[in-house]
Amino acid sequence: MDLFWVFGSVAIFGMIVYMVQVLAVHSALRSPRKPAPESVPSNFPPISILKPLKGLEDNLFDNLESFCLQDYPEYEIICCLQDENDPAYKVAKKVKEKFPDKPISIVVERCNRGLNPKVNNLFSAYRYSNHATFLISDSNVKVDTHYLGRIAPSLDNPEVGLVCNLIRGVGGRTLGSIFENLHLNSFILGNICLLDRYFNLPCVIGKSMLMRKKDFEAIGGLGSVKDVLAEDHFIGEKIRERKQRVVISNYLVNNVNEYWGLQKFINRHVRWGKMRWKIGGIRYVSELAINPVFISILSVFLYGLTWETLSLFIIACAVKMSGDFYLGRRIGAPLHPLSYLLSPIKDLLIGLIWFVPFMDDTVIWRGNRYRIGKDSVLSPCRVKGIWAWRYRMADAIRGRLA
Amino acid sequence: MLLCDFHIHTTYSDGSVKLRKTIDLFGQAGFDVIAITDHVVNGDNSYGKLARKFKFSLREDTFGTYMAHVREEAMRAWDRYGMLVIPGVEITKTALTSGKSAHFLLIGIEEFIPANWSYEKIFLEAKKQDTLIIACHPHHTSEMTFVDTLFLWNNRDKYSRYIDAWEIANRDDVFNVISLKKYPYIAGSDFHRIRHLYSWKSLLNCKKDIESIKQCIRSNWGVAITLFRN
Repeated sequence: MDLFWVFGSVAIFGMIVYMVQVLAVHSALRSPRKPAPESVPSNFPPISILKPLKGLEDNLFDNLESFCLQDYPEYEIICCLQDENDPAYKVAKKVKEKFPDKPISIVVERCNRGLNPKVNNLFSAYRYSNHATFLISDSNVKVDTHYLGRIAPSLDNPEVGLVCNLIRGVGGRTLGSIFENLHLNSFILGNICLLDRYFNLPCVIGKSMLMRKKDFEAIGGLGSVKDVLAEDHFIGEKIRERKQRVVISNYLVNNVNEYWGLQKFINRHVRWGKMRWKIGGIRYVSELAINPVFISILSVFLYGLTWETLSLFIIACAVKMSGDFYLGRRIGAPLHPLSYLLSPIKDLLIGLIWFVPFMDDTVIWRGNRYRIGKDSVLSPCRVKGIWAWRYRMADAIRGRLA
Repeated sequence: MLLCDFHIHTTYSDGSVKLRKTIDLFGQAGFDVIAITDHVVNGDNSYGKLARKFKFSLREDTFGTYMAHVREEAMRAWDRYGMLVIPGVEITKTALTSGKSAHFLLIGIEEFIPANWSYEKIFLEAKKQDTLIIACHPHHTSEMTFVDTLFLWNNRDKYSRYIDAWEIANRDDVFNVISLKKYPYIAGSDFHRIRHLYSWKSLLNCKKDIESIKQCIRSNWGVAITLFRN
């Protein structure tokens, strides 16, 4: 029973950290880290919005349209794709036709300069961009009309090299997308705020990154991140190495996940887990400790269904569900209240996913398999050689399941 | 080229996605033309009676509401996505054997047509309403839970003169017999669930209005099919 108290202590520690995360989110959203809305127009530099597109993200038309409706003096949108047969091309064309007065460009150019497909996609868009300030924005991001106006003035301070945003998962019509949104709105959001507020470690999420070209080129530009899986993290680190600040704006951007399957949720978090393991090293271990639901269920499995183990599990579930519900309400996530009942199940799944990075160091991203090295540097994974059978077997199983 | 899907079901029959969400799903995916074609099931056998009882079929009394809703959503789709939405139905004559079962789409329908009329009567009424008549999944399909609908194919000599086009591809299946017979063709998803969005579609080289689309399909000039994948 002594070991039970070890599990119990870890679970209680996880609950306390979680509550600190909730406080961090609360405090981040309250902080006056927003520029005055009446800022003079000189605070609004012309911006090139780079939109790397690949495939039909959920709500793609609305997501792109939301960038055309910005209440901002001067900006251009550059949608970049690798292939004209990509279904996103037609959607981008329709949006362009709907807003003929907006400077929207669609660049289709195949590029294989690096191993990161998103960065490959961005090379052409970056080349075609006209303004000295640019924003990299993922295709599953939807914003309101004040978005650019709210984040751009942060770059007034020359010490600031990069502005990124907090994200809020919205949508959620399938189990996979509900899990994804719950995870984004609790674990991801909580950790970003915790690290930023209390450890002064801004964690860059690539959904929205606003930079000056001169700063970006000083750290090596796109060429420096072409073979990195976590290009957003890498850019943030390089900016900080230049003694510039990375600002996480408390303006929440919507990350639309509406029709995700469970497989897509698992794939993404396996990939992110491997990435964090390669970047964070031993710090990755702490992620399991701050998953109280998973720790408490381990004690149930190890010691059987006793009054103590069951109480610990129920308390962990209750804390997690109520905390997630509060966070969801606080950030205005349009999730159905009953969705929060799934929060412990999601945490159990995330707990299982946590082990995968120790067993496999390859990722499949947009159909390509790569090996992840230190700091998430990618290298091609040859599906030949003595150990190649395991990839073929994994692919075969995945194919059968699909 | 217009990206089109002429075979879509909603919760008005046995689809799992509501009409409004279906329109948004196709609009967000960049489609130019779609037809909403919920089932009208024959009520003259036990299968049909069950389908009607469990509301998997449009009936004469629900048809008006259905059409009004489709027209309202069509206006929204045009304003929002520049997508043309055409009302239609899938006449579903299902029997226990595949040789006696037939499904066909009536696209651009105005008035209700019951599925328990005879084939000739339905076709003549459909022609009177100037609807497009499309034979659905006319040959053996890969769907294990589905009774194949072979009646129209087996009786093609008698009925092909009424049929404006045949589905050469339906969801994941391709029917090469249609190309061998050189019949006019289109492809459709037979959309019931969200994942069916990724399936065979039609591409039409014509203007985005209902008359040009009917003309294009009937003449089968400027028609192509494409496998829509993400």
